[in-house]
Amino acid sequence: MYKIVLAFRYLLKRRITYFAVAAVTLCVFIVVVVMTVMTGLVTDFKQKNLSFTGDCVVGTESLVGFTYYEDFISVLEKTDFVEAVSPVIKSYALLTPQGRDLNIGVEIMGIDPVRHSQVTGFGKTLYYRNDDASKAFAPNYDPNLLGCVLGIDLAMERDAKSGYPYEASPAKAAFSITCFPLTAKGALAKAGAGLINTQTFYYSDISHSGLARVDGSTVYLPFEQAQLLCGMAGPIKRASAIHIKFKPNIKLQAGREKVTSLWHRFRQEKAGEEQADLLATVTVQSWKDNRQAFIAAMEKEQTMMIVMFGFVGITTVFIVFVVFYMIISHKTKDIGILKSVGVSNVDIIELFSGFAFLVGLSGTCIGLLGGWLFLLKINRIENWLFEHFKYQLWDRTIYAIGDIPNQTDIRVLLVITGSAIAACLLGALVPAWQAATSMPVETLRANQL
Amino acid sequence: MPLRQKGTIGLEMLKLFLWLRYLRKKKIVLLSIAAVALSVSLLIIVASLFSGFINAFEQSAVETIGDVVLSAPTKFSKYSMLIERLEQIGAVEAATATLSAQGLLHLGKGNVRAVNIWGIEPARRAKVTGFKQSLLRQKHSPGDLSFEIPPAVLLRKNEAAGDKTGGFVGIGVLGEPDEKTDEYDVKTIEKMIGRSVVLTTGAVIDQNPGAPGQGETAERFRRKTVEFTIADIVFTGVYDLDKRFVYLPIAYFQSILYPNESEGVADQIQIKLRDNTQAELAIAQIRGVWQVFAADQLGWDENFIRYTQIETAKQMQSRYVVELRKQMGILLLIFGVVSLSVVVLIFCIFYMIVRLKQRDIAIMKSCGAASSSVACIFLGFGVCVGILGSGVGAALGYVVTKNINVVEEWIRIIFGLKLWKSSVYMFSKIPNEVDWTSAFNIILLAVIAAAMGTLIPAVVAARTRPVEILRYE
Repeated sequence: MYKIVLAFRYLLKRRITYFAVAAVTLCVFIVVVVMTVMTGLVTDFKQKNLSFTGDCVVGTESLVGFTYYEDFISVLEKTDFVEAVSPVIKSYALLTPQGRDLNIGVEIMGIDPVRHSQVTGFGKTLYYRNDDASKAFAPNYDPNLLGCVLGIDLAMERDAKSGYPYEASPAKAAFSITCFPLTAKGALAKAGAGLINTQTFYYSDISHSGLARVDGSTVYLPFEQAQLLCGMAGPIKRASAIHIKFKPNIKLQAGREKVTSLWHRFRQEKAGEEQADLLATVTVQSWKDNRQAFIAAMEKEQTMMIVMFGFVGITTVFIVFVVFYMIISHKTKDIGILKSVGVSNVDIIELFSGFAFLVGLSGTCIGLLGGWLFLLKINRIENWLFEHFKYQLWDRTIYAIGDIPNQTDIRVLLVITGSAIAACLLGALVPAWQAATSMPVETLRANQL
Repeated sequence: MPLRQKGTIGLEMLKLFLWLRYLRKKKIVLLSIAAVALSVSLLIIVASLFSGFINAFEQSAVETIGDVVLSAPTKFSKYSMLIERLEQIGAVEAATATLSAQGLLHLGKGNVRAVNIWGIEPARRAKVTGFKQSLLRQKHSPGDLSFEIPPAVLLRKNEAAGDKTGGFVGIGVLGEPDEKTDEYDVKTIEKMIGRSVVLTTGAVIDQNPGAPGQGETAERFRRKTVEFTIADIVFTGVYDLDKRFVYLPIAYFQSILYPNESEGVADQIQIKLRDNTQAELAIAQIRGVWQVFAADQLGWDENFIRYTQIETAKQMQSRYVVELRKQMGILLLIFGVVSLSVVVLIFCIFYMIVRLKQRDIAIMKSCGAASSSVACIFLGFGVCVGILGSGVGAALGYVVTKNINVVEEWIRIIFGLKLWKSSVYMFSKIPNEVDWTSAFNIILLAVIAAAMGTLIPAVVAARTRPVEILRYE
């Protein structure tokens, strides 16, 4: 009991302790704000990638694609862990708006909009056909025309508030799309006959996935048309990937492993069949692996930020050390008396550790509260700054970011709280040890009184 | 020597003596020095890396497109005449034309890339930009740059010079950097010099009246597919340039896109200014020449000419640079605010010293030292701590910044974590120049912060009353 009483007494009576609390508060406040915003950005980015990809991708990097994809889709659809599958054609193409002297290098994705919407969030990214993805490639000004869906940043410019100048219905616009059709061996399919395939498509919708690279460079086409353009619609048809969505109760890694095992078996069955060599380039990846190149960069930046805060946090450890050193050097007589009435060394260490815990806890609580309040208002503060000073944390015409993420993550808060208290305990360790090992006979000597 | 002056020297010596004594005897002071050093070094590293990145970003633009770029609203002919006129201006050292388009490049089996194509004049370009240094094969050759295919390649393929057109291809178009080291396998990629590749692109070649009654003009778009031989490989170290660009002779590229044009066609003029030329003045002169040229030679009206953009390469990047500087400011502010705890630390340490050394202070005051002198001892000591900490921090910041690529490589080797990738941060190497202006400001602020931390303890020391402290003894 005396430990708790003394710890509270030191906390309340020794004003120098307030400085340690203030230092902890400052650090916790900054770290909470920065890490909440960063974690929010990373989580949001991951969620958008998952929505774009689906749970798992069986595919190849080669633009030649791979054969027998329909057979493997049948295999997948018979399993009890797959909810939906969608074959996809991926390639590069030249997009030319009709009537303009302009070529734009784009990535094309040939999809069946209904199947793809069952696997990914494609349907929800559409603007005009948001409620009915089956009509994604049917322009509402003439549903008989061959439609294409443009990544939103190909179609329009983002404004300073991350908004787009949507129109009530898509304007009638035609685009020529040109590809190199490739044979199953990767050679140019139309050698001696112009080498390229060109097809005119009409603007039917826009897709806003929230991924800047995707929205700025992807054109979605009907699956069969894309297959024809890329030369994959031969007697043995080819596709670039199969996107898979698992049933809700299936864990990502378990699902991926099951698909991998099915794929290996499938490859063995197909060995020896015509163009089966193309199956060798196919990999099975979870969405995280598939989008790793993009996600990893953000995760690394988050890690670097944590490391830098760790370095700066060392100062807080120093402050706690100094404050405790001062308090203990002023309280040698208290410690001497305590020890002379039988308190053990361990109890002394526990007393000051408890005190350090209180310092850490109170600093953390104030810091968390301040951080939470600041985060609550962060978007309002930014809007105010933009309205009065044209200042934004991120220029929304450059960065594809909407509101500043301000949803606190309980795991992040727990880690910050734990780290702050650990830093205080660390800072108090040496002074507490010194207090514990001090000799009562020296501290209570007559000339000390 | 007057007595007063002697007294002053004595006090100065006493201050120095006490500072050194506290430094030696009060090991806890080393903590404040360490904290200042840590904060200063971190801030210097952050500021230097950001500034280095911004400078590299701006410099890469200058090395790629020259000092000033004239971008016309549409393609225009007779560019040789324009260049001739521009080079007569005192401010302009050299100029070169560019014709740009996008295309698809078929590199081999199953390997197709979307690319930007630039039609260029290689010899002139080398005078305007740092293009020559980017070419793997020709960078050390003494002559002018050219698209000529190396004779050894022609011999191997049993072809005559002139049979095939040569082109330059970015290193990132031909291969990806290694996943772990982020370095290109230059030797393997160099072997692709001499390989034939197929490129498709296109342009609007004429305008025909639309169908009767529609009241529109339909423009006829022409696709063109060409084969060329890789004559050299471009490695600028800027990922986006290396990853997406293909270069062809401008005349040849024009003959593909606009076969009916009899005179040279370009859509951009890139200009190198003479040293010590004022950019604004040069732009005004260039604009004057362009307006006369466009009106007289191209027959453009005033409104159309107005759509021409004439900007320095740095101005073209300014939107992004502003954003980068903002990010740097925010990061420095965050770490600066967290570093405020150093002030608290110094306050705590000095307060402790003042409390422990009250008898010393009382003796000094009883010997005649003024309160201000006593305060100055502690303030001065705080400044010393600030200077020492900043010095150590600056040295640490300098060493880390200069060796940041080595540090990053060691992190990769030990933790398997590749922090810097050219595909994410544009450049293949981390810019490692120390930003001395920011460093100086950070050091200054650190010294001021250290002095601020000692302010209250110094006042407490100054207000010490010897009679109270020494009475008991």
